[in-house]
Amino acid sequence: MDLSEWSDITPIELDDGASSAMPLATIAYPPEYLEATAYLRAVMAANEMSERALSLTKEVIAMNPAHYTVWIYRAKILFALDKDLNEELSWLNDVSLKYLKNYQIWHHRQVLLSSKAHFPTFPPKEADFLMEMFAQDSKNYHVWTYRHWLVRHFKLWDQPRELEDVEALLKADVRNNSAWNHRYMLRFGPRDPAPDAGMVNAGDMSTAPTDKGRLPLVDEDMIDGELKFTQEAILRAPENRSPWWYARGVLRAAGRGLGEWEGFAGSFVSEGAVKSSHAIEWLADVFAENGGAVNAVQMLTLLKEKYDPIRKNYWDYRIRKLDQVAL
Amino acid sequence: MPLIGRRRVRFPNPNPVSQSQKPKKKMTRPGIPAIFTQPPAIIDPLITETTDLHNATRDKCLPFLKGTHSSQADLNQHGVPALKRDLHVGYLYDSLEDYPSGFVAMDASRPWMVYWGLAGLAMLGEDTSQFRERVIATLRPMQNPSGGFGGGHGQTSHIAGSYAAVLSLAMVGGEGLALVDRHAMWQWLSRVKQPDGGFRVGEGGEEDVRYVKQRGWLDFDFLTFRRGAYCAMTIISLLDLPLTLADGQARDAGLETLTSGLPQYLSRCQTFEGGISGSPGSEAHGAYAFCALACLAIMGPPEEVFTRHMDIPMLVSWLSARQSAPEGGLSGRTNKLVDGCYSHWVGGCWPLLESSLDGKPGSTEPPASSLFSREGLTRYILACCQGNDGGLRDKPGKHVDSYHTCYVLAGLSATQTHHYRTDSSAVSDGFSSAFSWKSSPSHAEDNVFSKGDRLTPLHPLYLIPHKDAERMRLWSQDHPLV
Repeated sequence: MDLSEWSDITPIELDDGASSAMPLATIAYPPEYLEATAYLRAVMAANEMSERALSLTKEVIAMNPAHYTVWIYRAKILFALDKDLNEELSWLNDVSLKYLKNYQIWHHRQVLLSSKAHFPTFPPKEADFLMEMFAQDSKNYHVWTYRHWLVRHFKLWDQPRELEDVEALLKADVRNNSAWNHRYMLRFGPRDPAPDAGMVNAGDMSTAPTDKGRLPLVDEDMIDGELKFTQEAILRAPENRSPWWYARGVLRAAGRGLGEWEGFAGSFVSEGAVKSSHAIEWLADVFAENGGAVNAVQMLTLLKEKYDPIRKNYWDYRIRKLDQVAL
Repeated sequence: MPLIGRRRVRFPNPNPVSQSQKPKKKMTRPGIPAIFTQPPAIIDPLITETTDLHNATRDKCLPFLKGTHSSQADLNQHGVPALKRDLHVGYLYDSLEDYPSGFVAMDASRPWMVYWGLAGLAMLGEDTSQFRERVIATLRPMQNPSGGFGGGHGQTSHIAGSYAAVLSLAMVGGEGLALVDRHAMWQWLSRVKQPDGGFRVGEGGEEDVRYVKQRGWLDFDFLTFRRGAYCAMTIISLLDLPLTLADGQARDAGLETLTSGLPQYLSRCQTFEGGISGSPGSEAHGAYAFCALACLAIMGPPEEVFTRHMDIPMLVSWLSARQSAPEGGLSGRTNKLVDGCYSHWVGGCWPLLESSLDGKPGSTEPPASSLFSREGLTRYILACCQGNDGGLRDKPGKHVDSYHTCYVLAGLSATQTHHYRTDSSAVSDGFSSAFSWKSSPSHAEDNVFSKGDRLTPLHPLYLIPHKDAERMRLWSQDHPLV
């Protein structure tokens, strides 16, 4: 730090508890970190909104990007000084690629993009950068959560780019469950003004939990398109849980039962050549739905004994529930 | 993070030629069922990044699961290694001492370091009250006059740091119970309560500062901890804070209490997969499943609150699918890898759900069977997660750290314990269900750990010993806010 520009500030030294009893989990901070954070505490206490404070935040971030407080302060200064946020974003891009697991960065990005004054519309470069991030880690939870927020904030449900990116990622790895989740949200997630939810109707106290996800208006062509897309994905890798559960979500949204896929699921379950445990589970649910408890138990027994035995207790529980119904 | 998965791993044919035809140097130790030594029955031929990573992980785990890894000794009759109790105790004591300058990244996580260390030691039977003065000295400078604790001195108050601080104080007791400025904490929580029913994790920044990741102390794949609601309800119920909202945007928006809209908010976090996400619309994730269920179970009896707000069959199905063979351990999301920390985040959901499915409390009889494979999880933890020199880890090939040590031990404890609720509670208000939990050692048939490996159970909602949770709550009741 160049101390000459800080002569008017009295730094607030770190109190890590060492003045009383021996504190726990102490860190032998590097001197430059101690110095920078001492000035940070002082300018934060004074709520100083200045260029020098802004560059101080950058210094602290460079030493410790997990310091959440400094990010909050930095965002405040950026807005107070009306800085060029696009410049901030391009700096953030580099930091993000350097610290792939860091969350503060994504929160900061969301804070910036949420400013309607600076970003009245969706900056299209965002999608390119997110794909760059997904090239590093295609299931990064922070990045997907951020992307979800972008969709809600800028109302991007029907922007072709969203679905294109999802499909590109699923083409590269059909087992990318994060991409399947994003697809569901684009197709079936609640839209404004409904509160955000994993499924429509959720949290509405007049709706039973079993009716979560049920659309009030159903576009059957869209549903059929989704089911076709999902079947193609399943054919590529039948033992992939993601599309099987996506399909359940689709049928649930449409209020259609699992029965219409009985034949499709059955094609993966023939004597001696079972290709998907998820297909067996599907059949079990179809049979149970139609009152065929005996057949359902037969399917669940296959799972328990051969195709998914680590979940034996769960399959037994399902069998017990069917027995209760039968009684 | 180094990419571990590029090597294509081929697994033995599911129907291998007999041992007499092709002798192997290292044979699976006796007592280990084939399910934990063989690949699953169905493997798709299509290779993608997901399968590469899965196969590499499986490849790393198998020698440990088979009991043939060179570092393993002293396997019991089930082929399971003993808990390295003394080494873990030593590791956790060390974890509470000084760190070199390279650990500057944990500067905002010191309350967590304290909590993980103390909770781990408590499970291992150590007396945590010995740290009373030191815990107080550590946390005092982190408390802000306007309420809550930051991750360190001069840091903005954070709901996760406040959670870790409150639990740590509960575990040391005495003067520690009086450290929290409960009135300021109540006011601060009222300010971070959101009109949508959820909680932000702190004040400051612009709109929608809802979640800030509280990260661990090393820059590798740490679990995020973003669920403000669970942290808030833990703090509120342990400190007996008023439920009425003080000033803040939630009250301005017409909400009346700190719990207003909260169950509905959690209901919106359930996804089409059945699991629960960190915020509405995101992907179902094991960590948030625990936080959401524990939060609901603090607010009311599980058989009522879960049934009212969650689609239970879907939830149970998703939760059950988190366990896979041969690893036996738990993953946090569909098509993601097993990780020791989910032994708690996912494993810790089971006692809550099992209790819900068992219905109203009263019976102290263990349920007919648990819904997951305790054996599988126990094997994964004891065979794959123990570091050579103490401490526990995500999976073989990863470093140990105190975060994983705490939550892997908590998962092991969950496999060893029968948690149930009784008709009597330490408290009589809306939180009576939360304080009615008791536990007894599980004697399930599939226990594969050795007698000496039993851990002290933690309260299944608060993740500290039962007596410590009750002590803090009763102390707070005796010291009402005026």
